[in-house]
Amino acid sequence: MLAPFVLLFVAFSIYPIFASFRLSFMRYNAICDEELSPCGSVRFGNYYRLFFEDDRFHKALLNTSYYVVGAVSLTIIASLMLAIALQADTKSNRILRVVFFLPSVTSSIATVLVWGWVFRGDGVGLLNGVLAAMGISPVEWLATPALAVPILVLMSVWGGAGYGMILFLAGINSIPTYYYEAAMIDGANPRQRFRYITLPLLKPVMTYVGITSIIGAFQIFEGVYLLFPTSVGSVGGLQDMALMLVPYLYDQGFIHFRLGYASAIAWVLFGIIFIISLINLKLSKSFEDLR
Amino acid sequence: MTIIDQEEFVPKDTFDAGGFSSPFEKRSKWSKLRRIPLYLTTIIMVAPYYWMITSSFKSVQELQKVPPTVVPNKWLLVNYFNTNFGNVNNNSTDPSNQRGLFQRFEEVQFGFFHYVLNSLFIVVTITVATMLISSLAAYVVSKHRMKGKRLIYLTIIGSMMVPWQVGIIPNFLTMSNLNWLDTYWAYIIPALPKAFIVFFLVQYLSSIPDELVESARIDRASEFTIWWRIILPLLKPAMIAMMIFASIGEWNNFLWPMIIANSPEMWNLPVALSMLRNNGAGNIGMQGIIMGASLLASIPTVLLFLVAQKHFIRGIALSGIK
Repeated sequence: MLAPFVLLFVAFSIYPIFASFRLSFMRYNAICDEELSPCGSVRFGNYYRLFFEDDRFHKALLNTSYYVVGAVSLTIIASLMLAIALQADTKSNRILRVVFFLPSVTSSIATVLVWGWVFRGDGVGLLNGVLAAMGISPVEWLATPALAVPILVLMSVWGGAGYGMILFLAGINSIPTYYYEAAMIDGANPRQRFRYITLPLLKPVMTYVGITSIIGAFQIFEGVYLLFPTSVGSVGGLQDMALMLVPYLYDQGFIHFRLGYASAIAWVLFGIIFIISLINLKLSKSFEDLR
Repeated sequence: MTIIDQEEFVPKDTFDAGGFSSPFEKRSKWSKLRRIPLYLTTIIMVAPYYWMITSSFKSVQELQKVPPTVVPNKWLLVNYFNTNFGNVNNNSTDPSNQRGLFQRFEEVQFGFFHYVLNSLFIVVTITVATMLISSLAAYVVSKHRMKGKRLIYLTIIGSMMVPWQVGIIPNFLTMSNLNWLDTYWAYIIPALPKAFIVFFLVQYLSSIPDELVESARIDRASEFTIWWRIILPLLKPAMIAMMIFASIGEWNNFLWPMIIANSPEMWNLPVALSMLRNNGAGNIGMQGIIMGASLLASIPTVLLFLVAQKHFIRGIALSGIK
């Protein structure tokens, strides 16, 4: 009875992990013709090139780091604030919760396409239209390298805050009310109650939201692919201003068919996520020990 | 709208953990003003949806206006179906002389709806099949004594740490070797093993007493009967939550379909949407059509969420607390 799941799980979840590890030490392009494009081991060649020679990869890594730091921290702050603001179980709050959660269930392609129009460079774009109404000339939002990552961060907070909010709400609601009652009898003000009761007791939820949104943020693809195309059929936008890890993986693997090299990128992605998750878990553990 | 049913985990007297208001403290007029930033944020949240809906009903001339109009001057359906298209008297340089959404994708049967059907078929098949095999697996892991069970469960949990993109290239090669590229197999089969669903169901089953299963075994019920008659009914709330999870995820899936589906017949909705965008990137007239397609692609998941939000939210909340 376990067999159907285990067979599929091994074939499409476990085997690929090892296979891509093996590929990451190879030159591999699916043609594997001795003369035209040979395949074979390159030892650490792929990783060497990634870390020491490939400027596009460095750019992708840097952009992704900025993006992850910005998106994750702002999403956590926004969702915690939303959870607190919408905590009371009133009718208007229930409706607002739905509104804030909607992006989590909307097709990401659809929302990216709408944002693409919001940030259109000419006067027809929504944001430039607002600026025009205030007498400011249009801005080339998607062609300004300094704005690429912030725009993607904004889209990510917009899309992810509602999800974190639900988790925080569940966390807040599982805190027994007598803590607050006791604190109020002791004369704690709202800020103190938040600081010394709500926040510490939300730590496990915080860790969970943190890890899941970090993992999610590292995997950004649609926004980069649709909003920052380049003329040569590649991804990343002008001067690779929005190039990130997964889009670069796609670029190397499925546009240039460097499957070995793309596997190495995948393993770097995995390594980063793995280390960050471990640090996050360790940190939250040691915080618990301190208290 | 009954959003986010809280009966189970909220104290009946609404208590404000943020401490912004409480029954014991005086409510000032500031407490209302405090919500102004919240309402401003709400506007930002809603704006893209509003824009998506209204622009899909604007004429091409109106879409080109600078600054853009907030409310459409005239609500039109030209972006969906342009009755004037192909009219002999029409000026071919007139930007509004273009196909509506339903008049595009002529290379496939039913045009745009081909992709709706594709997506529906793929999502339903994956969801049903994955729930069946996952609940079977969860039942065995949770209620059977078996050698190596623990190792299997730990592997399942451990695999959730691995981003799925790590396996994307080997999976692509497997599909290519099986000659499954550009078929529904490539959509469905690799999407079936979902570690998170098994993990969630095992967690849920652990709160169900073993005696229930034991007594059924004493009554000589077959394992499949126990699974079908006892386990599945008990798992119903968890199953519903995971079904919604899985189907929304698959409906919006983009990267994998883009890699495996080359011919227009095999695209799913998100891929078809991105193709619309690629063809009409710079063309303002196309934007209304793209917005209409985005709207139609978003409606099913939003509706599913609104109908089943109670189960969905509970699923998310449980996954976070445990």
